[in-house]
Amino acid sequence: MSELERSLLRRLRDRDERAFRELIDDHRDRVFNITYRMLGNRAEAEDVAQEVFITVFKTIDSFREESKFSTWLYRVTVNHCKNRIKYLARRHDRDKDELDETSQQTNGAVTGTPVRAAQPDKALASAQMEKLLQEAIAALDDDQRAVVILRDVEDLSIEEICEITGLPDGTVKSRLHRARLVLRKRMQRHVDGE
Amino acid sequence: MSTLDEVDDEIIIALSDYLDGTLTGDARAEVEKKLESDPTWKAAHAEMVAGKEATSTLSGLHKARAPVNLTEDVTGTIHKRSAGRFFGRRTFGDRVPFTAILVVAILGLAAIGYIMYSSPTGSLKVDKPKDPPPAPPGPVINPP
Repeated sequence: MSELERSLLRRLRDRDERAFRELIDDHRDRVFNITYRMLGNRAEAEDVAQEVFITVFKTIDSFREESKFSTWLYRVTVNHCKNRIKYLARRHDRDKDELDETSQQTNGAVTGTPVRAAQPDKALASAQMEKLLQEAIAALDDDQRAVVILRDVEDLSIEEICEITGLPDGTVKSRLHRARLVLRKRMQRHVDGE
Repeated sequence: MSTLDEVDDEIIIALSDYLDGTLTGDARAEVEKKLESDPTWKAAHAEMVAGKEATSTLSGLHKARAPVNLTEDVTGTIHKRSAGRFFGRRTFGDRVPFTAILVVAILGLAAIGYIMYSSPTGSLKVDKPKDPPPAPPGPVINPP
C-alpha cells in the first residue's frame, strides 16, 4: 500500500469529508462498472454504487490493511451486488405473481414480440452485441457472474478475485471456465438463431 | 452435455494454469503429455480455449461511467442519514480507545491521591492521635 493511500485512509478514519470525496472520485467509475455489469440496470447500479461508498465510509475502521484497499472495496461492491440480485429476484417473483393475477382478472394477455431491427451500421451492431453480452452475463448465477466480470471485464488477477470473493483458487478457476462456457453457448445460440 | 460439465475440477484447474501460462517445467510437460494422450483432456482444453476466445469480447465492453453527481449524492445521503454527525473530525473519545482513557484516569487519580496523602498538609493525611501531654504537676498536698 502506498504512502498516499495510507494517508488517505488515516484521513478517512478521521471522518475527513474531503478525503472521502477523493476516494469516491478515484474509484467511482470502476465500482459503477462492476455494479452495472452485475445488475444490468443503470438505476439499480447507481443506487448500489452509492450504498457501496456509504458502507465503505461507515466501516472503514474495520479495514485492517491486510489486502489492497481496492480489493476490499471490490469485495464490498460484489457483496452489495449479490444482495441486490437476491432482493430483485424476490421482488420479481412477487411482481410476477401480481401480474399473473391481474392478467387473469382482465383476461387480456399482452404479448410483445421484440422488433428485430436491421443493422444499418456498426454502431447498432456494437450496441446489439453489448446487449447480447449483457443478457448472457445476466443469465449466469451470481457467483459465476462475479467471477467473469472481475476477470474478463475488469481484468483482475485470479489472486485478487480469490481475495474479493473469499473462494479458493481452484474454485475461482473452475467457476470462471464453466461460466465462460455458458456465455459461449448463449452467444452461439443467438448467432445460430439469426 | 459438454465436456466441461463432466470433467473434474482438477483438470479444469490444471488446464486453466496451462492456458494462463503459469505452469512451468515438469507440470507443463505433464499437461502437454495428457493433452496428447487423453481425449478428455483434449476435449476440455478445446472447450476452454473456445470459451476464452468467446469471452475475449467482454474486455472490450464499453466501461460504464458513473453518473457525474454520484459524489454529491453519496455525501448528501451521508449528511442526511447522520444529521451531519458523520463528517468532521472525531472527538477525542472517538479516536482514543475508552480502555486507554480509563487506565490513564485511574493512574492519574492514584498519583493525585498519593501526593495528597504524602503531603504534610494534604487533606488525606490522617493525623494520628498524639499522646496527651503529661499533666502539669499539681500542688503537693501534704497530709495533715
